Amino acid sequence: MDMDFYDTETGVLKRSIFADEGVYELELTRIFARAWNFMCHESQIPEPGDFFMNTIGEDEVIAVRGRDRRINVLLNTCAHRGNSVCRAEFGNVRSFFCSYHGWNYDLDGSLIGVRGEDVFYRGNLDRKAWGLTPAAQVATYRGFVFATLDPGAPALEEYLGWVGRLGIDLVASRGEVEFLDGVRKNRVKCNWKLAVDNVYDWYHVQVSHGSALKVGVLREESLRPMQQIVVLGDYGHGIGGPGLSEEEFDEAVERVKNGGGKRQFYDGRVAERMAPATQRELGPVGKRVLGHPNIFPNLWISSTPEICLRIPRGPDETELWWFAYRTRDMDERKRRAALHVTNHLFAPGGLLEQDDGENWSHATRSAKGRFARQLPLNFTMGKGADRVTADASGQRGIETVVNEHGQRWTWQSWQEWMRAESWQDLMASRSAPPTGVV
Amino acid sequence: MAGDRASSVDERLRLKHEVEEFLFMEADLLDARRYQDWLELLTDDIHYWMPVRRTTTAREVDREFTQPGGVAFFDDDKAMLKMRVDRILVGGAWAEDPPSRTRRLITNLRILEAEGDELTVASNFQLYRTRLNSEEDQWIGRREDRLRRVDGQFRLARRHVFLEQTVILSQNLSSLF
Repeated sequence: MDMDFYDTETGVLKRSIFADEGVYELELTRIFARAWNFMCHESQIPEPGDFFMNTIGEDEVIAVRGRDRRINVLLNTCAHRGNSVCRAEFGNVRSFFCSYHGWNYDLDGSLIGVRGEDVFYRGNLDRKAWGLTPAAQVATYRGFVFATLDPGAPALEEYLGWVGRLGIDLVASRGEVEFLDGVRKNRVKCNWKLAVDNVYDWYHVQVSHGSALKVGVLREESLRPMQQIVVLGDYGHGIGGPGLSEEEFDEAVERVKNGGGKRQFYDGRVAERMAPATQRELGPVGKRVLGHPNIFPNLWISSTPEICLRIPRGPDETELWWFAYRTRDMDERKRRAALHVTNHLFAPGGLLEQDDGENWSHATRSAKGRFARQLPLNFTMGKGADRVTADASGQRGIETVVNEHGQRWTWQSWQEWMRAESWQDLMASRSAPPTGVV
Repeated sequence: MAGDRASSVDERLRLKHEVEEFLFMEADLLDARRYQDWLELLTDDIHYWMPVRRTTTAREVDREFTQPGGVAFFDDDKAMLKMRVDRILVGGAWAEDPPSRTRRLITNLRILEAEGDELTVASNFQLYRTRLNSEEDQWIGRREDRLRRVDGQFRLARRHVFLEQTVILSQNLSSLF
């Protein structure tokens, strides 16, 4: 396959990547089967036997709390004939029982029961060799559970790097996080990458969501400040969106502490970052970030109390899974306010999100056109006009206006993942996050 | 005796007919995109709610729906419903521009409870939506409504919508149920 999809020199992308079957097949192997994929939050499966079903690419996996309280991630397919051993989206089980022939698996995937083991198999079945297949690696960062199918993947924290970790820190620093019952799922006829590209897109808001702005679902002031901070990280992780200058941050801190001054919408966010320990934890750049992280490949950490997973279901279909959370220290008023945001902005009924799918599905459809698929897409906004600045702490960011740096970094990284034959190859060939002029 | 029974059956049929007329008229308003008129049918204290449904094992089927006060697809008061309507009408609500074509079939009507001015009413629905040239969605489910008589007219005071889908198979829920 011709692997020239994105031209880093010109910022131009081939549209065929949103429709091509071959590209999609390769993504399942080189991106999803290779990456650390988000499974669930620990608070969703607190007790032994609690499980949450997810997928890695198109492979169904069960994240389950074991009797030793460790989290196992198991492929949901019986070793005997491949039937699913679990059919519920979530719940609690004592073991995984195959409904075809009755093979039974423990919470760690080991085969503990085979019907007719003595009489039919004559005692010749090596149970140890025929358990459920576990993910190659499972790890948790601040309650966020990830798994990879690739034994060659670097450790989770190394994979996340400081930017991926910061993305999760922005949630975890809010307090003790508890995910809520009810993951909202729906299908959009779009390529998964269009949903990911949108995470960094602060250009579409006034147009795609203009109606929501006009009727007050979203207030103009909630989009402030107009300047942006973009942070680009290892392996394609990134954060993009509004960001406060140091002055604005200090002024907001002052307002929250002592009152006075014109209250800004973002003061509420700053109020969560008042503790010196939180500011140290997020860092001098991270504490001023108000935008959206994406953990490569497909985990959007929203600035609302939610995260969204964009799961591929073929080249032209994506399932969006919205997980909502709150912090345990929230009082009733804060809980209600958080739930109000959760139940009205995103997910298929959300007054913002309704219109996104319409755009993404048509962008996907046009990528199938015999002629249109050959046309380039323009990712040049702000290219060459900005600079990555390094803070004394080592944190780096781009402070600018609305831009497409996050998108360009996503395409460059995605292309490197697609070209690499293995993790070893990817680690050797990948570009470091940009420095200097971008 | 026989006469009493006849009159009570008569009364029930009359009430059922009246409720049916209201629900059919309501569905017609939505299908005709007369959203402002639809808002007029709602009481000021309406709660409009659609929980999230999940596939569970038979043993844990009591966990199938999220609960009131939790995560939901719709959890609206009148102000939120008005916002949904205003958004469609203000222009630039792309999921409804060009407008969807919808048809609502309301069936299996049962009056579950009648007390004072209020009725609790269950119905099944099929909502068919088609958009543009070839896009189709349909949702089937059950509604449990609370109707209240206000100045001799029914008003919708509560609507709980239970869809059969767990993963919503449409790219949005921009329709009203």
